[in-house]
Parts: sequence; structure tokens; C-alpha cells
Amino acid sequence: MLYSVVLAELDPLRPVIAAPLFRFSIGGYEIVFSNHMLMVTVAAVVLLIIIPLGVSRKSLMPRGWQNFVESLCVFLRDEVARPILGDNADRFIFFVWTIFFFILTMNLLGMVPTEAIYYLITKREERFGGGATANIWITGALAMVTFVLTHAVGIKEYGLLKYLSMLAPKVPWPILPLIYALEILSALVRPFALAVRLFANMLAGHIIFATFIGLILIFKNWFVAAGSVGAIIVMSCLELLIAFIQAYIFTLLSTLFISLALESEHG
Amino acid sequence: MLAEIGSAGLAILGAGISCGMVILGAGIGIGFIGGKSTEAIARQPQIGGRIVTAMIISAALIEGVTLFALVINFLAIFWMKG
Repeated sequence: MLYSVVLAELDPLRPVIAAPLFRFSIGGYEIVFSNHMLMVTVAAVVLLIIIPLGVSRKSLMPRGWQNFVESLCVFLRDEVARPILGDNADRFIFFVWTIFFFILTMNLLGMVPTEAIYYLITKREERFGGGATANIWITGALAMVTFVLTHAVGIKEYGLLKYLSMLAPKVPWPILPLIYALEILSALVRPFALAVRLFANMLAGHIIFATFIGLILIFKNWFVAAGSVGAIIVMSCLELLIAFIQAYIFTLLSTLFISLALESEHG
Repeated sequence: MLAEIGSAGLAILGAGISCGMVILGAGIGIGFIGGKSTEAIARQPQIGGRIVTAMIISAALIEGVTLFALVINFLAIFWMKG
């Protein structure tokens, strides 16, 4: 039972939920700093260190890390930004790159078992790592960034009243209120869908992982352990693929929403 | 018999059955996408890369809808009041 606390748990939800690290009070409000917030900060710091390392050399035949960063950036520019945004691609390419690398880093850091390694080294149980994107508040915040950016760009480009009148296509006036209400509803549902898609994909991955490992505790059997570890290896490869795909889908849909806000008159 | 199970058991029963049905829908939908996209690649292999990209995007969007249903099931199991 020495390793049963951190490496395997009977409750599959407990490793996934945010754990409070420390609390501090500002004014009259108490702010709880959780491990997911720490992972967001770690992701930001990691990106601030390794991306400049990737682009600093500027060699014409990129190799190694520069090749990886550059190929992802070129892919996002040529396959996501230029076809969807057209002429406006260069204005929003920084947002596209930032959101893709940020979500990708948070997804991949959620796959790294830092707490288990810490437990194996120091035999103390601390919850300080975990998937930040497996938290609805963090993915909701990212979707809120997309939402505010989309409508702010539309309002800045066209003015508030003209942008609001652009939301609905030209239909006969009896059904215009209905179509308008439908468009407003879909504009509100879109960031929610973005947030829940990313959150549920990452959460499902972590819960499957925790459930498979927890099966070993339930059965206490070597055959179950072998099958479980084999299944975990396959699921982890799938989770790495899902991390990349979900970051790409979030970026693609954000770009699509920005292009919808910027397009000229509904046809 | 249903009254003896109690509301917590009913919620978990409902969540289990609904998860099965949602997975059925998602499996059929994504299988359809996979089949049609392989057919399209067989007809015109030189745009295979673009077809695979469109397939991945469609599969991820359908998976997103599947996972909405999963989140509602979590709500039913874990956040019931009373």
C-alpha cells in the first residue's frame, strides 16, 4: 500500500480536481491558489523560455527545435490563418500562434506525472501538478478571450450599431426577430462549446487514466496489472494525439469566429 | 421496484444508459466520416492530406458534442441535490 496514495487511487476523480496550494487575502476577498493555476503559470514561463530559444537562430535551414517551432507556426499560418482570414491574417496571426502553443503546452504538461515522480523521490504526497485544461474555469477563460476578441474586433471594425445589425442575414421582416434571436443565441453558445469541448476531452483522458490504474487496486492481480499498464500505454499515445488535435481545433474555431465577425455584409 | 432504488441509483442508471446511447450516435457519425473520407481519398489520392485534415476536424467536432453529453451525465451523477 506504499504507492497506492499517489500512483493509483480508488476514486478516479480525485487526482483530476484542483487542489488548493495556498490561500491569501486581498482586501476582503480570499483568493485560493490551486495547482491548476500553478500549471498555467508554469506553462506560460516554459513558453516564454523555449519559444525564443526556438526562433533566435534564424538559420535558413532550420534543424531541431527551431524546425519544430517553425513548422508548427508555418502550418498555422498557411493552413489556418491565410485560408480563413485572408487579408487579415497578419493582424491575428500572433493570437493564433499564442493560443495554439499555450493550449498545447497546458495539455502536454497535464500528461507529465510530476506528482508521482515527486512521491517516488521524497515519499511525500503533494498535489502541485496536473492538467490545467482539465478545469472548466481555465478553458472557460480561454473561450472568454476568444469571445471578447471576436466581438471587440467586429465592433472596432464596423461600429457598434452596424455590427449588431450585421449579425442577422437579410430575411423578410416577419421572421427577422426570430432569426436575430437565433443568431444571438448561437453567438453566446459558441464560447461555451469551445470551453466544454477542450475541457471534456482532457478530463475524459485523465479519468480514463486514473480508472485504469485504479482497477489494479480493485483486483490486486498481476494479470490485471499487465493488461492495465498495456491499456494505459495505448491510451497515453491517444491522449498525446488528442492534445495536439484539441489545441488545433480550438485555434481553428477561434480563427473561424474572428473571420465571421470581420466579414463584409451577409450575403 | 423503481421506487426502491432511490434517486441516486436512478440518476446513475440514467447516466449509464444515456452514455451508451451517446456513444452509439458518435460511433455511427465518426464511422460515417471515416468511410466517406477514405472513399474520397481512393477517388483522388493527390489531395489526401486535405481530406485527412477535414476528417480530423469533423471527428473532433462530433467528439465535442459527445463530450457535452458526458458532462451532463457527470452533472447527473455527482451534483444532484438531495
